[in-house]
Amino acid sequence: MTDPDPSAPPTPRVVDLATVVEPDEPEPQAPVDDPNLTPAQREEAAKRAEQDRRDRRLVRKLKEGDERAFQELVTTYQNRIFGLMLRMIGNRQEAEDLAQEVFIIVYRAIGSYRGEGRFYTWLYRIASNTCKNRIKYLKGRNFHRSVEIEDSPQAQLPAAEGGAIVTFQSQVPGPEATVEGQRMETIIQRELAALDPEHRLLIVLRDVQGLSYQDIIRITGLQEGTLKSRLHRARVALKERLSPFMR
Amino acid sequence: MAEQSPTEADALMSAYLDKQLAPEEAAKVEKLLAESPEAREELDGLQSMLKLMKGLPEVVAPPDFYEKLAKKIRRRKIFSAEGLWMLAVPFQVLSVVLILVVAVTYMLLHLDSDPSVKLEKDPTVQKSPPAAP
Repeated sequence: MTDPDPSAPPTPRVVDLATVVEPDEPEPQAPVDDPNLTPAQREEAAKRAEQDRRDRRLVRKLKEGDERAFQELVTTYQNRIFGLMLRMIGNRQEAEDLAQEVFIIVYRAIGSYRGEGRFYTWLYRIASNTCKNRIKYLKGRNFHRSVEIEDSPQAQLPAAEGGAIVTFQSQVPGPEATVEGQRMETIIQRELAALDPEHRLLIVLRDVQGLSYQDIIRITGLQEGTLKSRLHRARVALKERLSPFMR
Repeated sequence: MAEQSPTEADALMSAYLDKQLAPEEAAKVEKLLAESPEAREELDGLQSMLKLMKGLPEVVAPPDFYEKLAKKIRRRKIFSAEGLWMLAVPFQVLSVVLILVVAVTYMLLHLDSDPSVKLEKDPTVQKSPPAAP
């Protein structure tokens, strides 16, 4: 847990598009009128179809050079991409830079997006490739940036010794709960950072951001069986690391 | 489908929690859970951990995220190959103008001198005979 090293050399910001941008593949459309779907699933599918239509319209306008369409796309996805980066890297400034890098790549590579797959999964694919490249780069330089939220000695203690416990602000209101929530967030962030980046990515995509298995398969290119077993291994590893802090 | 070992069924536990298993696979996990207290404990631990992860606060990007992004894009456009070419145009024009100015100055300076002097120095040039009276 170190602060960004001020003596570290400036990081390269010129990204080779070929290393992060992959062509979009055709994807099956959400079956909105499938009679087997529950009302909640149908509503979800309809929302997703509407979002896809909106994205396609914005992408078309962006290809025509409309800057406002780009702004709208960024505004729509900035929280999700920034959130992904923050959970993966653990440092707000680094996460912001990386998230902006992702949108710059989108801006530069939008011409190569054929519109056959969903914009959403294409964007996430760019984001996860950018993030993995960055982690590899930082690892190569033996340069660790991670938890910046709160890293007090109290956060190091297990629950039984007065350390963090499994509560979040949303679950128990009040200032104490807020403090406990922040402390737990710090712990989770720290233990996430200790996971293998591939495992971390799966946990963040599925358990933090709530993406579906199908979306994760399209983003990561994993086979379904591989995803299931790898996600399980990732969860078990994280559970082991968090168990001293859970009651 | 072949009978799965406890380890294989264990690996399906996450997918079971996510309701991503086919009915026969889910039945195998349920059988394992009914027979093994360790498996139940594992499942409980995973559920607690998932509850923790889902409880993480939603992350919001800084309010000036787009402004900073737009600034970066503008800056990079300037320093891109196209931007550098545009930046170089005034210098190219200036160079051409400078060359023209030097050339014109040189010519003007040399026009001041008598061109016939030069011609006389040239041995190949014959002096024209004096005109007949």
